Amino acid sequence: MTGMARIFPSAEAALADLPDGAVVAIGGYAGAGVPESLVRALLACGPKGLTCICQGAWPHREGGVGIADLIEAGLVARLISPMPFPEGPGHEEGYKGPGCEDSIKKRWESGHLEIEVVPAGILAERLRAGGAGLGGVFLPTGVGTRFAEGREVRSIAGRDHVFYPALKAGFALLRARAADTLGNLVYQGTQRNWNPTMAMAASTTIVEVDEIYEPGGLDPELVITQAIFIDRIVNTDRIVNTA
Amino acid sequence: MTTERLDHSNMVRRAAAELRAGEAVALGPGLPGLLPAQASASNAVWFLSDNGVMGYQAAAGALAGAHPAVDASGDSVRIAPGGSFCGVVDVAGMLRGGHVALAVIQAAQISAAGDFVHWTTAAIPGLAAPGSAVDLASGAGRVIALLAHNGPDGSPNIVAECDLPVDGVRCISLIITDLGVFAVRDGGLVLTELAPGWTADEVVTLTGAPLTVSPSLKEMSFDVPVLSPLNKVYPTALDALHDVPGGAVVNVDGFAGPGGMAHYLLTGLRDQGAKGLTMISNTAGIARIVNFGTPAGVVPIDHSILVENGQIARAIASYPVSPSVSRPSAFEEAYNSGEATLEVVPQGTLAERLRAGGAGVAAFYTPTAVGTLLGEGKEIREIGGREYVLEHGIRADFCLIRGHKADTLGNVVYKGTSRNFNPVMATAARVTVVEVDEIVEPAELDPEAIVTPGIFVDRIVKRPGDFSPYL
Repeated sequence: MTGMARIFPSAEAALADLPDGAVVAIGGYAGAGVPESLVRALLACGPKGLTCICQGAWPHREGGVGIADLIEAGLVARLISPMPFPEGPGHEEGYKGPGCEDSIKKRWESGHLEIEVVPAGILAERLRAGGAGLGGVFLPTGVGTRFAEGREVRSIAGRDHVFYPALKAGFALLRARAADTLGNLVYQGTQRNWNPTMAMAASTTIVEVDEIYEPGGLDPELVITQAIFIDRIVNTDRIVNTA
Repeated sequence: MTTERLDHSNMVRRAAAELRAGEAVALGPGLPGLLPAQASASNAVWFLSDNGVMGYQAAAGALAGAHPAVDASGDSVRIAPGGSFCGVVDVAGMLRGGHVALAVIQAAQISAAGDFVHWTTAAIPGLAAPGSAVDLASGAGRVIALLAHNGPDGSPNIVAECDLPVDGVRCISLIITDLGVFAVRDGGLVLTELAPGWTADEVVTLTGAPLTVSPSLKEMSFDVPVLSPLNKVYPTALDALHDVPGGAVVNVDGFAGPGGMAHYLLTGLRDQGAKGLTMISNTAGIARIVNFGTPAGVVPIDHSILVENGQIARAIASYPVSPSVSRPSAFEEAYNSGEATLEVVPQGTLAERLRAGGAGVAAFYTPTAVGTLLGEGKEIREIGGREYVLEHGIRADFCLIRGHKADTLGNVVYKGTSRNFNPVMATAARVTVVEVDEIVEPAELDPEAIVTPGIFVDRIVKRPGDFSPYL
């Protein structure tokens, strides 16, 4: 959120100043809207001790990369996520639990990976609060569960609500279908998931897109993320046909 | 035991029998993902997935087409006519805000009181993985849980008390297992339906919690009713507003001038005549005084027609007065004469309060108005070295919004700056009524372009071609 967006020649160039210990929000959900070029570049840049805010440690798809790869490479010290391990087969093979990657589980069990589990709606609202300049929100969600433990509970209009503070990231790695050179973004299908919210909630936002247009090239009625939220733009590297 | 347990598709078909036309139905990952394939007319309900897709059908194969989409399980889905996209944050708001009538989740364990452990949480001891299950279960009007009646070792999954940390407290209302259907009532669990071939005694034995057998116990049926979409289109503004009661709270959009203002609905509300209304709006009606896009020589319809008709008892607004002392607005005159009261809210705070009301955020801390008259008497909290004022969500009974086009399911697109307060107000009312220039069939709006999804819209009125927005 520093004014004009800049177009970078590569994902690695756009991430060159991402320091060790950074808090990085990464968009995407179940293989849709994942900034795979940026995740791959992050893997190559190799900063250590990252806090990663994301839906979950999704494994890579064939030929691609996933957040699981960042964890396995030892880049992530802390994960803030509603579904830290990817789901296993659900309805196909009965009632199995998450098909978690053994190596990630071992990192967690051995204390090399800290995990804060935050239900999806609470995490989204905390990020939105961070992006919209709110200090925090009182939500009815999570009352009576471990997710509210240690938090202020207040009765408002006769119902218990939990106080959740706003959450912000240092960097956000985002995926959209197209941008204009100013940083306005449009998405496609379920790419939207976490991306527009994370775009608001980070100091430095980096988006990968399939196409970059001149200003005026996007229908103003269709812009979902406004340019004022976007700092850096890269073309997706098309190593895999990412969704 | 030789009798077969139900397969997944029959469990899901029984769940599909609970669908009601027009309702939003949130589906968690796992078994609930099979519901769209079993439902007969999938644009009669809004299937909603937490990753931000609503109004979809099952789709075999890989992501493809103009609107590649996956559901909460990561399976490909196809957007149905009238479906659209949003974000995780929006779906969570729909759930908390009371816009989702039904949620269907897959549980690993359920207590007699309706507490549950989500299936994704049960697998790794010491680590939760609820995804959006907490949001679904605490936000939807009714929650149906699907689960295997017993684990692989025969142990019951319906228990007196959950032995794993729960993902929701007292939130399951109906349980469908591979042995029967169970209602969760205040007095405990009631067995209401049995899978074919099973007896109540057998099911009671396989259940780990006290169970009452319903006197009207019957065999499960797997018929899925055929649903038709609700008709939301009303012939006139007056028809669409016929039941606004006296004393109602009404959201009225319009930034200042005529843009985004539901002129036709305003005349309908005037003709309907409900009195003692509280009006939530950006201004309390100054379009007659400022031009804000009004052509010279004409006087636009605005909130003043309600004030002059003696219908407004109170306004909640950010810009309630005329900028010209010599030309007071109708509301100013009503306020000065004591006929109406006023609550002034800064514009951004008003929008945020409406957004909170619509998204089930009871209250929030905003830095706006700290140290000013508008922050006086309110809780101040220091967070991260900055002071914030506590503000509360706000909701109306009725909402009058102005769109450009709607489809018959209530999806709305806007034009230019007429968007202003409309999309946020639309979420924050019990009954949302939209006035549009054109009503189209569901497939005619681009799903990527829909701004207000039909989940929020109850009634649609077309502004008549010969209607003049000017007095």
